[in-house]
Amino acid sequence: MKVKVWGSRGSIPAPGPETMRYGGNTSCVAVTLSDGTLLVLDAGTGIRTLGLELPPLQGPVNILLTHLHLDHIQGLMFFAPCFHPEAEIIIWGPAAVEAPLLDRIARYISAPLSPVEVRELPSHVSFREAEASEWRIGPATVRSCSVSHRGPTLGYRIEDDGAALCYIPDHEPALGTPLDALEDEWISGLELAAGADLLIHDAQYTDDEYSAHLGWGHSSLSDALAFARRAAVGRLLLFHHDPLHGDEFLDGLGDEARARWAAAGGAAEQIGLASERLELSVAGARTSRRAS
Amino acid sequence: MSGARPLQLILARNLLSSLSTPAFLVDADGNLLFFNEAAGALLGRRYEETGQMTAPEWTATFGPFDEDGRPIPYDEVPLTHALRGNRPSHGGFMIRSAGGAEHAIEASALPLVGDQNFHGAIVIFWPAGEAVGPS
Repeated sequence: MKVKVWGSRGSIPAPGPETMRYGGNTSCVAVTLSDGTLLVLDAGTGIRTLGLELPPLQGPVNILLTHLHLDHIQGLMFFAPCFHPEAEIIIWGPAAVEAPLLDRIARYISAPLSPVEVRELPSHVSFREAEASEWRIGPATVRSCSVSHRGPTLGYRIEDDGAALCYIPDHEPALGTPLDALEDEWISGLELAAGADLLIHDAQYTDDEYSAHLGWGHSSLSDALAFARRAAVGRLLLFHHDPLHGDEFLDGLGDEARARWAAAGGAAEQIGLASERLELSVAGARTSRRAS
Repeated sequence: MSGARPLQLILARNLLSSLSTPAFLVDADGNLLFFNEAAGALLGRRYEETGQMTAPEWTATFGPFDEDGRPIPYDEVPLTHALRGNRPSHGGFMIRSAGGAEHAIEASALPLVGDQNFHGAIVIFWPAGEAVGPS
């Protein structure tokens, strides 16, 4: 699998000179499977630039939405393939009691928030509710499960050609109880992430910031590291950067994360921070970084 | 790794662990998954001591009983109504702590449904006649 980050920011786009290196676009990660099938994880504002750089589509694009907070869907109506009559786009997302996935997304892609309605998109767009289950897309097995965040929210695990990627961009697994006080079966998302070669995980807050954001649905750095350690992942990519965290701040956070991981017995190179245009190759038992 | 618990049970356990109101959590089969410190004080055992218990185990240990000490059939306790009828239920009965003390309690059972599945129930209980929460 090849992974490319198109947006790693959380909550709201944060463009500007302070965020040039890590990027200001919100959540979007492209995954190219072993047969060339494209999966897109979330449709934050990063999906716009992904759409502009895509070659002509050879097959359907599967967009896997973790949830419908705006920072994860805001780029959808600016994804160029949505306006290509030949394009087939399959949008997966969490089920909810209140309304079907299409209706919930249509609240954003409709007046007065949008000049275009979902039904007016010229591409072939379909919507599928991803229940807590496993299914296949191309050569990959995709699994989803509900995770601890506000509102219906999924994490995804993608396995292809012997490698496993887990994506949980918005997650607060330690809400109410410290992770070290819980058995594995009682930790949100842990089974989904277990043994993944690459885990892309929420680390929005420093430990100091977290205390003022308890219950907001995001992780502190300590909890992200503890979760990754419990899941025994090969590599951790810290994600969903707080919009207030500029490049220099994130550099320091990365240094701290690597030092703490190493102090706990891990290899510092297992820890990275997601940045726009970062490319990774995910292989079984080994995840290599490519020049970006 | 053993099977992960549904998110609804995970969040319920986290909630219960932060409550001062005695409460426990069961799965869809009535197995006791967790009880909090306040419940442990009433039951005379800490969760860390008992761990999870099957429905026959915890009913044999703690009850429920009627005022004459006779076991109340499992079909008649509020929890069973919540589990089988998938609706909130409330009732009063006696329980016995691990030390042998008997307590009259009232209990409310709340079914937990999510991801289109029924996962179990939260049971909140308190000594009969006493107010819930801090005075």
